[in-house]
Amino acid sequence: MAEAYFPVGPGLGMEENFLSLDDILMSQEKLPGRAESALPRLAVLLGQGAGSGESVQEGSKLEIPLWLAKGLHDSKRRIISVELPKIYREAWRTVFSADANVVDLHKMGPYYYGFGSQLLNFENPENPEIAQTILQASLSWGWLCVTCLCSLQTFVARFRRIMDSSQNAYNEDTSALVARLDELERALFQVGQKGLNDFQCWEKGQASQITASSLVQNYGKRKLAEVDG
Amino acid sequence: GDLGPFNPGLPVEVPVWLAINLKQRQKCRLIPPEWMDVGKLEEIRDQERKEDTFTPMPSPYYMELTKLLLNYASDNIPRADEIRTLVKDTWDTRMAKLRLSADSFVRQQEAHAKLDNLTLMEINTAGTFLTQALDHMYKLRTNLQPGDSSQSQDF
Repeated sequence: MAEAYFPVGPGLGMEENFLSLDDILMSQEKLPGRAESALPRLAVLLGQGAGSGESVQEGSKLEIPLWLAKGLHDSKRRIISVELPKIYREAWRTVFSADANVVDLHKMGPYYYGFGSQLLNFENPENPEIAQTILQASLSWGWLCVTCLCSLQTFVARFRRIMDSSQNAYNEDTSALVARLDELERALFQVGQKGLNDFQCWEKGQASQITASSLVQNYGKRKLAEVDG
Repeated sequence: GDLGPFNPGLPVEVPVWLAINLKQRQKCRLIPPEWMDVGKLEEIRDQERKEDTFTPMPSPYYMELTKLLLNYASDNIPRADEIRTLVKDTWDTRMAKLRLSADSFVRQQEAHAKLDNLTLMEINTAGTFLTQALDHMYKLRTNLQPGDSSQSQDF
């Protein structure tokens, strides 16, 4: 059962794949931040004011999408500074380490894993307590490594649930199960389901039957419309 | 290769595809392989349930053969339904073991696992999911290493 469309997957680690739809959608997610310097006449763009001439005050809080934050963030940190979103902070980390299966990752931002990896692009020495207690590495790495350790552990903990549910739910309504997974986990779930469906198909003997391709099934309808119209 | 001669009433060994074809044309009677017998399959199933590792299966294609023979030639196989149930039980047990070992593999984040006596069918059913999951784990894990400090373009 060949696919009509071969998707480009999301990027590796800190890099994004330019052509990947998942990465593009993910970089739209918002990040809390602060303007370090006054941004003249950009108030409307960033959702802060109504007039077209207003500027963003220095030090005001902003919600910036990831792609904008990446572009504006430079090592001298003149323009904006970003903060870690709530979900990746201390309080939530303890929830994850208690039981990762319970959390509704979709509600927390549908791209928990991808977004977490992207946050590594920002060096942020704003949490020296975390850096000192967790890692002896340089300040910037302390913050980031904790985040990625946490996401790896979360993934590992949730893996079992995803595997079991995807391999055993045949022809059942899976929307209740899938609602709590983030995008990366959903993709995994679909792969597992596809494997299961293919196997069932083979067992029924459908694998050796010739069926019309999904691309071609629409052709008949269009031809009729042309003949009539 | 060469096959035959085909004399009526005498058993001949032929490839499975030919056998199925002849059977569909009602020109032959199939003889089940020696492992496709209730007693033997029961032994295999019990051994599978007892052991933690995978038992060697009588044929690396036992699932495919079972399916083909039971679909096309069930009248030639004694106690076909029982055989079907036994093979399915064995399959389920093996799949469950596979999933369990995949789970412990992921949980402990080991780098290398060795699984003996798995047939291709089982690997294909469970394999795609497992390789994708391991890919994701690898990606998440490379974040921990400060590989290259490549900056995006600075203007």
